[in-house]
Amino acid sequence: MASPHRIDVHHHFVPQVYKDALIACGDKCPAPGYQPPLQNWTVERSLAEMDAAGIASALISVTTPGIHFGDDAAAKKLARQCNDAGAKMVADRPKRFGLFAALPLPDIAGSLAEIAYAFDQLKADGIGLYTSYDAGGTKFLGDPKFAPVLEELNRRQALVFVHPTSCVCCTNLQPSIADAIIEYGTDTTRTIASLVFGGAAARYPNIRWIFCHAGGTMPYLIQRFYDFSGRDSAAMKAAMPNGMMHELTKFHYDLAQTAHPGPVGALRAIIPVTQILFGTDYPYGAGCVDQAERVAQCGFSAQELAAVDRGNALKLLPRFG
Amino acid sequence: MAALTRIDVHHHFVPPAYKAEMNKKRPMQPCMQTWSIQNSLDDMDKAGTQIALVSITTPGLYFGNVEEARKLSRLCNDYAMEMARNHPTRFGIFASIPWPDVEGSLKEVAYALDTLKADGICMFTSYGDKWLGHADFNPLFEELNRRKAVVYVHPHAAACCLNLIPEVNESIIEYGTDTTRAINSMIFTGASHRYPDIQWIWSHAGGTMPFLIERMVNLAKIPQVAAKLPKGLMHELRRFYYDTAQASNGTALQCLKSVSGASQIVFGTDYPYRLSIEHVQGLAGAGFDKDELAGIDHRNALRLLPRLAPLIKA
Repeated sequence: MASPHRIDVHHHFVPQVYKDALIACGDKCPAPGYQPPLQNWTVERSLAEMDAAGIASALISVTTPGIHFGDDAAAKKLARQCNDAGAKMVADRPKRFGLFAALPLPDIAGSLAEIAYAFDQLKADGIGLYTSYDAGGTKFLGDPKFAPVLEELNRRQALVFVHPTSCVCCTNLQPSIADAIIEYGTDTTRTIASLVFGGAAARYPNIRWIFCHAGGTMPYLIQRFYDFSGRDSAAMKAAMPNGMMHELTKFHYDLAQTAHPGPVGALRAIIPVTQILFGTDYPYGAGCVDQAERVAQCGFSAQELAAVDRGNALKLLPRFG
Repeated sequence: MAALTRIDVHHHFVPPAYKAEMNKKRPMQPCMQTWSIQNSLDDMDKAGTQIALVSITTPGLYFGNVEEARKLSRLCNDYAMEMARNHPTRFGIFASIPWPDVEGSLKEVAYALDTLKADGICMFTSYGDKWLGHADFNPLFEELNRRKAVVYVHPHAAACCLNLIPEVNESIIEYGTDTTRAINSMIFTGASHRYPDIQWIWSHAGGTMPFLIERMVNLAKIPQVAAKLPKGLMHELRRFYYDTAQASNGTALQCLKSVSGASQIVFGTDYPYRLSIEHVQGLAGAGFDKDELAGIDHRNALRLLPRLAPLIKA
C-alpha cells in the first residue's frame, strides 16, 4: 500500500464505556445491539488497519445503535463518556485521529450542552448525528423538533457527519435480511429528503454535511426527487429558494460500503467529485485495505482519486494537512 | 405516426367499476379519475408503443375483505380482457389476484391464464408485513413456477412505512425501497432459486436494489446465506427483468446495467402517472447504444412474451 495519505471520514471507535453500556442494556438495546465487530474493536486494531490501508487519519464516531436507549440522563452521561474517550484517543495521536462527537439526541437541551462541550472544551472536529430518532414517533433531521440543534450547528459552521440507523419503522422487517442491507441506505435517503424538502438544508446553509454510503439510495431515486421538487412550486420554492440540486450538490458523501462502479457512477452523475469522500465503516465492512483497493477501481482518474482519498476531506479538516 | 415498436410492461388501467369502488374508500388521484382507453391509446401512439401490458396499480385490491378482493380481481381481469379483445394488437393483460387469499388467488391464476389467456400475473411487493419470498407465498409460487408464468411486480408503500416524513410523498422513497425489499426477500429466502421458472419483472429499475449491490454481495458471502444460493447472487439478479418506469435516466439505468446487464431492461412507463413519451426521451439520453435501446424497447420483452413478436415490425 502507498504511504499513508488517505483520510477516512467514516471510522468507528468503541471505547470501553460504550462496550459496557451495550452489555448493560442487553435485550433492551436498540438494533443491531452489541455485534462482534464492536466487541472486538481496539485502538491498536484500528491503527493496524489504517497503516495497512494507507490511511493517515481517521475521523472517529460512535456507530449504531447510538447512545440513546430510552433515558435522557443515561444518554447524556454516555455521550459525555464517549466524547471524553474519543478526545483522549485524539490527544494521544492528534494526526491519526479526529473526533465526530456524539450527542444525546433526541434530548435537545442535553445536545446543546454537549455541542458546546465538544467544540469548546474538546475541540472536536465535528458532530456525529443519526439519520432518525425515536422522539415520540420517528423523526428525521429536518423535523422542526431538531431546529434548535441545527441552528446552533449552523452558527458554529459545524461539520456534521450523519450516520444511518435502523429507523423505528423498519427494524427486523425480514428475518433473512439484516437491517443494514436495505434499511440503512434508505434511512439516509429519508433524512436527506427531510432536510431538503422540509427547508432545513437551505435555512442552515453553514452546516457542512457528510452523508454516508454514497447518499444511501438518493442518487438512484434522483428522478423521483426531481419530479417531486417540481410539483408544487410555491411550497418547494419556500423550502429550497436555490433549488434542490443546489442543496444536494453542497452535501458531502462518503463511499463506505458502496465502492462499486454502479453506485459510484450514479453518485458522480449528479454530484461533483469535490463532494465525495473516502470512508470505510471500520470495524464493519470488508476491511480498510479492501475498501481502499475498491475505491481505486471505481473509475476515478488519478487526480480525482487523490481528491476523494484525501484532498476533499482536507478542505473540510485542514488541521490534518 | 411513428412506427410502433415498443412494448410497455408497466401501464395502468382503471376499470370504471373499480374506480367507483375505490372512490368510495378514498378518492383516487386525478390521473386515475381521468383515465380512459382512448387516452391510453393516444399516449401509446405518441411514444411509438405497439402494445401495453395493463395492470392495476395502488391501492390494489385487498382491503381486509377476501370476498371483496375476489370480486375486484375478477372485475378488473374481465375488463382487461375486454380491452384486449377490442384492441388485440394494443393491449395485453397482467392479471390481478386477491392475495393474501390463497385459494382465491390460485383460482384467479387459472382463470386468468387458462380462460383469459393473460400474459402474466401482477403482484405487489408486499402484503401487510410479508414481502414476496415469505413462506406464505409458497403454494402460489409453486403454481406460477409450474406454469412458467411471467410475474410483474408493482410497489407500494409498505405498512411499516406510511406517512414517515410530513413533507415527502411516499412514492419518492418508499416505493423504490419496497421493490428492493421484495427482491432481497426473493433471493435471500431462497425462493428465487427454488422457483426458477417464474419470470419476474420488477418495476422502476429494481427500486433501489442496484445502488445497494455492495451490501447484497457481502451478505451473499456469509456461508449460511450462500447455501441458499447455489447458483450465486448474480445469477438470480441477472435472470430478473427490470422496467424503466420513472427511472428513464442514465444515473439509475447505467447503475442497473452494471448489475443486470442491458439485456434485462424492459420499457415501462407508469402511465397515467407519467407520459410514455417522457420515457422515450429519457432513454434516448441515458447512454445506451442503438442495439441496447432496441433491446429495451421490445427485444428483451419478447423473450418473456414471445406471442407479441408478430406485432413488432422493427
